[in-house]
Amino acid sequence: MTDSFRCSDRLSGVLVILLLMLFTLPAKAEREAWSLPLYQERVSAGSVMIGSAFARETYLSESGYSGTAFGFEADIWTGYSPDRLFKYGRTHSSLHFSPMKNRVGGGSTLELTGSFHTSMLWPAVNTPVCDLLLGPSFMFELGALYNRQNSNNPATAEGYMGAGLCVDNTLHFRLFRKDMAFQATLHMPLAGVGVAPDYDQPYWYIYRYDEYEKALHFITPFNDLALMQQVALVVPFRGARVRLGYTFDYTGNRLGGHYRSIGSNFFTIGCVMRYQKKDWSR
Amino acid sequence: MKSRIIHMACVVAALGMMLLPSACSSTEEGLDREYSNTPRGNFMALWEIMDERYCYFDLKKEVLGVDWNEVKLRYSASISGDMSNRSLFEVLCKMIGELRDGHVNLSSAYDFGRNWSWKTDYPANYSKDLQDKYLGLDYVICGNSSSYRILDDNIGYMVVKSFESSISNGSLNAMFNHMALCNGLIIDIRNNGGGNQNAGDRLASRFTEESVTWGYSCYKNGPGHNDFSKLHANVIEPAWTNLRWIKPVVLLVNRGCYSTANDFAVCMKSLANVTLMGDTTGGGGGLPMSSELPNGWVVRFSSSPSYDADINHVEFGVAPDIRLDMKESDMAAGLDTYIEEARRYINDMIVNP
Repeated sequence: MTDSFRCSDRLSGVLVILLLMLFTLPAKAEREAWSLPLYQERVSAGSVMIGSAFARETYLSESGYSGTAFGFEADIWTGYSPDRLFKYGRTHSSLHFSPMKNRVGGGSTLELTGSFHTSMLWPAVNTPVCDLLLGPSFMFELGALYNRQNSNNPATAEGYMGAGLCVDNTLHFRLFRKDMAFQATLHMPLAGVGVAPDYDQPYWYIYRYDEYEKALHFITPFNDLALMQQVALVVPFRGARVRLGYTFDYTGNRLGGHYRSIGSNFFTIGCVMRYQKKDWSR
Repeated sequence: MKSRIIHMACVVAALGMMLLPSACSSTEEGLDREYSNTPRGNFMALWEIMDERYCYFDLKKEVLGVDWNEVKLRYSASISGDMSNRSLFEVLCKMIGELRDGHVNLSSAYDFGRNWSWKTDYPANYSKDLQDKYLGLDYVICGNSSSYRILDDNIGYMVVKSFESSISNGSLNAMFNHMALCNGLIIDIRNNGGGNQNAGDRLASRFTEESVTWGYSCYKNGPGHNDFSKLHANVIEPAWTNLRWIKPVVLLVNRGCYSTANDFAVCMKSLANVTLMGDTTGGGGGLPMSSELPNGWVVRFSSSPSYDADINHVEFGVAPDIRLDMKESDMAAGLDTYIEEARRYINDMIVNP
């Protein structure tokens, strides 16, 4: 974990530049930091992600890898009809890339992962200080690891597709005479299909013998612990609403007989926008 | 009061979620073994990677008498905490060299550890100078590593140096058009160290008019020495949409034919109009995979064994239909015994089909 949080000087420089970019935002006060979208409304938050990633995938290597990671994430909250049980929709999509090194710095692995989660949310708690939303979620995540030393099995896929649970909790508070919001979100697949070769099944065999079923595994949190967690602070800043956060994405499993533990820690910075949803059916 | 309790519960839940990353990272260390980057840690990593993932332990025990547990005990005594990296590399290479497998290698900045006894312990049965003499200067280059010409007695002669890259269908069609009037074809794959399986399949598909099951393959599906998947049939299909060669073919092989070249020889041997001539091939029946030691050295090993059509291992090579050795007298006279015998064989087939 210490390796995962270690930031390089270059990373610190990028963070400073991003913070300076905040001053380019318009200087107009906003009364409320965050509120859930009304019917036909959307609230979206787009953020750049900078952090670190780690991977240990014994199909490719017994060594653990870690390195700097970059990416982009977008979250959209949609207001549905008030007479529905699930009054809100939420989608999360992200794409991140990480060049990683092993412990001795002698080998490198590249990781590229994309994810898409969409949820229907029921407002379990809806008070002036707290919005707690819960609901079912469809999740899709697919990534690839490419080990640049391996000659015959250089790459492997990792990912899952399934149904799960989304918990989205927003706490409203005032600090320095400003409305702010603290958000914590958890996406966790509870059942689905995970991708992993059947022990030392070469990808060449999957292609040659059409043996795809051996590379697909039924997953639950007991054999594939996957989760994506976000915490974020929404603060009004020069008329805009800035979202500063931390995102953690993790997959750990032993599918197909090989051990894999792949994750990333990101500091995120972006802004929140609210707009009317266009209804094309009118 | 009620809303305050809910508020507090939500705060606790939100803060609790922040602890999840540390919970996950602790499982990263706890769930599986981690090797230390010490001579002993690297030695154990290599031994266990091979123990769980190498596919030929039973065969090597039966044929070579290699007992992998005994190998561990013997080489473990040579490992000490203060040994240099070069010494460690030497010991580890010797240990995996016991398996006498060309697909088992240890790669480091110092060297590429290998055991090539499958080739070096036998007569070469090959002379590049003589091969070049038969090709002459006006040969046709076909793809990255193949060339051909028509010999004086109207027999096509093709040299395939490697299967690293495929010959395109267009180049193969051009070659067969060029040789359309030839009486037969000699394909020389001596000292071909292998490459891409697709390249071999594409070439072999030009020499059959029907689907032929030429072998079987499986892969390791668990850490036990006998954990293998079901056998998959390797079938060569005719290249229906392209030109095919139905006249006699002689495939020249020696101990330098390894890996994909070995599979190509197994495949060609099962075809009706093909005769294998020369020495037993070098073998290399296992499709290799790689892993890595804690110090970054990369280990390669055979992981997926292949068999011939009668489900015999081809790890130690395939025997030719006609056994040949290069004759000193021929070589002194500037003749390649293999090519001359192949020409004689094809010419005899024309007279006595």
